[in-house]
Amino acid sequence: MASDLGVSSLPGTVSDEAATEIDGARAAWLAAQAWTRWKRRVLPLLGAAALLFVWWALVAFLHVKPFIAPSPEVVAITLVQKWNILISNLWPTAIEAVSGFAIGNLVAIAIATLFVHRKSIEMAFFPIVVLLNSVPVVAKAPILVLLLGNGMAPKIAIAAVVCFFPTLVNMVRGLEAVSPQSLELMHVLSASKPDIFIRLRLPTSIPYLFSALKIAASTAVVGAIVGEWIGSQVGIGALIIQATYNFDSALLYATVICGSTFSVLFFLTIRLLERLCVRWAPGTTG
Amino acid sequence: MATIAPSDVALATTPETAPRDAPAVELSGVTVRFMSEQREVTALRDISFSLAPGTFLTLLGPSGCGKSTLLRVVADIIAPTGGTVNVLGRPPGEARRRREIGFVFQDPALLPWRSALDNVRLPLQVGGAARPARTGRSPEELLDLVGLAGWERALPHELSGGMRQRVSIARALLGDPRILLMDEPFGALDEITRDRLNDELLHVWRETGTTILFVTHSIQEAAYLGQRVLMLAANPGRVRELIAIDLPEPRQLTVRDTAAFAALTGRLRAVLETC
Repeated sequence: MASDLGVSSLPGTVSDEAATEIDGARAAWLAAQAWTRWKRRVLPLLGAAALLFVWWALVAFLHVKPFIAPSPEVVAITLVQKWNILISNLWPTAIEAVSGFAIGNLVAIAIATLFVHRKSIEMAFFPIVVLLNSVPVVAKAPILVLLLGNGMAPKIAIAAVVCFFPTLVNMVRGLEAVSPQSLELMHVLSASKPDIFIRLRLPTSIPYLFSALKIAASTAVVGAIVGEWIGSQVGIGALIIQATYNFDSALLYATVICGSTFSVLFFLTIRLLERLCVRWAPGTTG
Repeated sequence: MATIAPSDVALATTPETAPRDAPAVELSGVTVRFMSEQREVTALRDISFSLAPGTFLTLLGPSGCGKSTLLRVVADIIAPTGGTVNVLGRPPGEARRRREIGFVFQDPALLPWRSALDNVRLPLQVGGAARPARTGRSPEELLDLVGLAGWERALPHELSGGMRQRVSIARALLGDPRILLMDEPFGALDEITRDRLNDELLHVWRETGTTILFVTHSIQEAAYLGQRVLMLAANPGRVRELIAIDLPEPRQLTVRDTAAFAALTGRLRAVLETC
């Protein structure tokens, strides 16, 4: 950090022996750092491999029947053999999750902006939002299916609804997280309300927004899948139900792995965006 | 919490050429009362004083004496409950909209996503009609003035506390304000940094010729920086005494080791104890 800003590190008065010694200590320190980094990458993989082995051993030695639980290698084979079926079912789920994510978050950001500027609207509607949020998603889903029919629309709506609440709460908090002194500064500068919103409140809320978006990325996928459980022929959710009713445990596991992988990739995309957008908080810079 | 002063109504009721030789800051009978659930608190009672342009005034007093409130009244952040305030011969709101007032808070209040230079530029980007047409020193020159040349692109979290406060001083100086209000700006800094910034502030003051009102908790700082010290008493906040500081100009840090300085701070401490 300091070197980026043109500050030299050591004065030029160090003797040669001392310099060699410093170089040696530095090399040792770098080696220790590299070892720690390597461990951080490899140990999680070893942990996962160990768990896979335990899974395999349990299924093999306890003679678990294939329709109750498959062994890992059967799941792997299914993943390859039924790749086309899995992908063609992942597509609709992905589209629903991502569209729901976009709609739910945009609406939440707009309403948070309104709430921050019109306190009486917040007082009137915030308790109702909290109430609606406490209705479990599996209970909201059938209502939306009845309202919106059998296509993608109800699944997108469910995904949007589950994204909406965390983003609304965090966004309101973020927009209000400005320090009193920043507001006084803006007043001394005779800043207008739009000035304060664009130059102060919005940038302040971005880290809060991203922590909500990271939650929403996973819950949007859950919302879409739950939507597909109720009256759908395609999608990860429909495939899960189908595989369960057919006692096709290998396909069930493969479907779950497919859905989770998508969910993780979605989350990682949001985190990457966060790293690109939020460069000022010390915790998020390299 | 007090109400924010009535917001921007029409600009300039006083002619452009308004009082040239008017006092920089003039308060007469200023009273500020805050309402709370339990009681009414009188933060300031009947404050009157007048300050010639170019004066360096330090405000000293026990905590709760309303020093910060007084600055906020001058900056048009808090409207007084009673009395009149004039800044450069005009109501403080007008002085604020003309960008005649710079404010430095105890917390630098920098925008963490902006570089040092972009933080100094903020006053050019907000405030619509209030934005200064002529800025005097450029943001780059101001960073240089506060000793931060070469740090333009650094983000606030890459700067030390003292450097951040220098950025906020540069920001307050943008547009050549004729009044600089400083609310314990160095209160959170270590003594070494504080000494250096005190000297740099005196340098800036001599360079710009601006009027400075400087709130502090430190008797040493009040005596070293101020041409005059306004001593306030607490509960309710009121003027205890306006003390002239008779030290050789320009001030050098070594003056603090002299007997004259010790006598001065001794006197200030004695007055402070009666507040």
